[in-house]
Amino acid sequence: MFESLNEPVDVLTAFLDGRVRPLRFRWKGRVIRVRRVTGEWNRREGVNRLTYFSVEGSGAESYELCYDPRGPRWTLCKAWSG
Amino acid sequence: MFLLVDMDAFFASVEQTQHPHLRGRQVIVCGDPGRRGVVTAASYEARPFGVKAGMPLQEARRLCPQAHYVEGNPEKYVALSLQLLDLYSGFTPDVEPFSVDEAFLGLQGSRDSYQQATEVAHAIQCAIDERFQLGATIGVGPNKLIAKMASGVKKPRGITVLDVAGFQRHFWPLDVRELWGVGPQLASRMRSLGIQTVGELAHAPAEPLRAAFGNIGPQLREAAHGHDDTPLVPYHRGVEAKSMGHEVTLSADCDDAVHLEGTLLRLSDQVARRLRTEAYWGRTVCLKLRDARFVTRLRQTTLRQATADHPLIYESALQLLRALWDGGPVRLIGVSMSNLARTHREEQAELFTAHDRQGRLREALDRVRDRLGESSLVPAGTLAHRSRVGHVPFGAISNRVTARPGAGSDQALRPRDGSKTPPQKRRPPWPKS
Repeated sequence: MFESLNEPVDVLTAFLDGRVRPLRFRWKGRVIRVRRVTGEWNRREGVNRLTYFSVEGSGAESYELCYDPRGPRWTLCKAWSG
Repeated sequence: MFLLVDMDAFFASVEQTQHPHLRGRQVIVCGDPGRRGVVTAASYEARPFGVKAGMPLQEARRLCPQAHYVEGNPEKYVALSLQLLDLYSGFTPDVEPFSVDEAFLGLQGSRDSYQQATEVAHAIQCAIDERFQLGATIGVGPNKLIAKMASGVKKPRGITVLDVAGFQRHFWPLDVRELWGVGPQLASRMRSLGIQTVGELAHAPAEPLRAAFGNIGPQLREAAHGHDDTPLVPYHRGVEAKSMGHEVTLSADCDDAVHLEGTLLRLSDQVARRLRTEAYWGRTVCLKLRDARFVTRLRQTTLRQATADHPLIYESALQLLRALWDGGPVRLIGVSMSNLARTHREEQAELFTAHDRQGRLREALDRVRDRLGESSLVPAGTLAHRSRVGHVPFGAISNRVTARPGAGSDQALRPRDGSKTPPQKRRPPWPKS
């Protein structure tokens, strides 16, 4: 099942070597561990650069997260479940 | 020696890699699956059902209703494509992107042999699989033509190596349509001249080919022999754009002149903005219209002076629309600019600021968009039709012209004096041709 969400979420984030990595996030009262980052890409909004991550959760589900350095803040854009 | 690396069902494979529940399933990548449009890519699991790129989504749904329809994300695919180019650069500096999912690689020196090239091809396939979990098919040949055509011989995850003799053995018995550069119409004309196969084209006399097809005739004859001397242009040297354009498949077939004109204005603005951002001017404006029967018509006009100015592009495109459109339902509309010339930013800015007030305004608007994004400012004329079709990114603006709170999208077009005249379907103000 696919859900288009665009919900603000809290994400435990690693900032390593100038790169951002989502580790865990809270959604629907659950803490979801990011098992694997399967894709990363950017989109410009004027001078701002949003970074998108495609990630796998612990099961067959996957998510698309967006990191906005203004704030900074995270958004859960989409969720897929098997 | 040349390699052509072609990613297998690229967009669909990327989605399968990123979403575990799609792996091994029929996946069809398209625009918004809730709207109509065409198939952008189909996974190998969906292809046995007859689904292929370019097919209308409606037909794909009939052939393969159980497939997962996924909205494509061009930014994601382009980002991955750049990462792939980076990976290829680790094998050779001579990398020429051919499309978002294909690239030519050149091998020189000690690796300029079929055996060495095959080993490099294997290593590239393994590296792509290891780093991205994606499959690639690679063609190897002594020139770009043979490498490209070899890549189509065995898919997915194939490696095909052909020399000129191997090319001739494999392709000469095949339909002339199989030759790179021969499309359906050209193939049909060749058949009418008695040329059915690639081999027959290779042995056809040059002069009748020139008489029938112009200079392209003898060139295709050379290609049929497997001859090609096109050089590889490494991407770090940059390639000049030949044209820039935008097109859109409308959410429903449309014969509303206001809607088409608003869409045309938006497309003209996007093209102009892109020209300015990449420091080009264009002289030839081309309008593309596809009707409900999938008949596509193009018409172009050349301006006296090059421009990167959306009102001028729109004005020309509108004239073309008036000449080309018969008032029937339109499925797709597009605007492109060709005949491009480079302009230095300073020169462009100087011309705009020194000679016209509009130019200074445009420069200021560009600065706002550079800072806040493309949707921060749009021509007002593009908003009316957007509110009518119900996908308005500027809710606040739309609400201001709505006659009463909660009014539907059509009512948003009512005059602000509160009159109850519903919006009329607008026919073109010009006579049908």
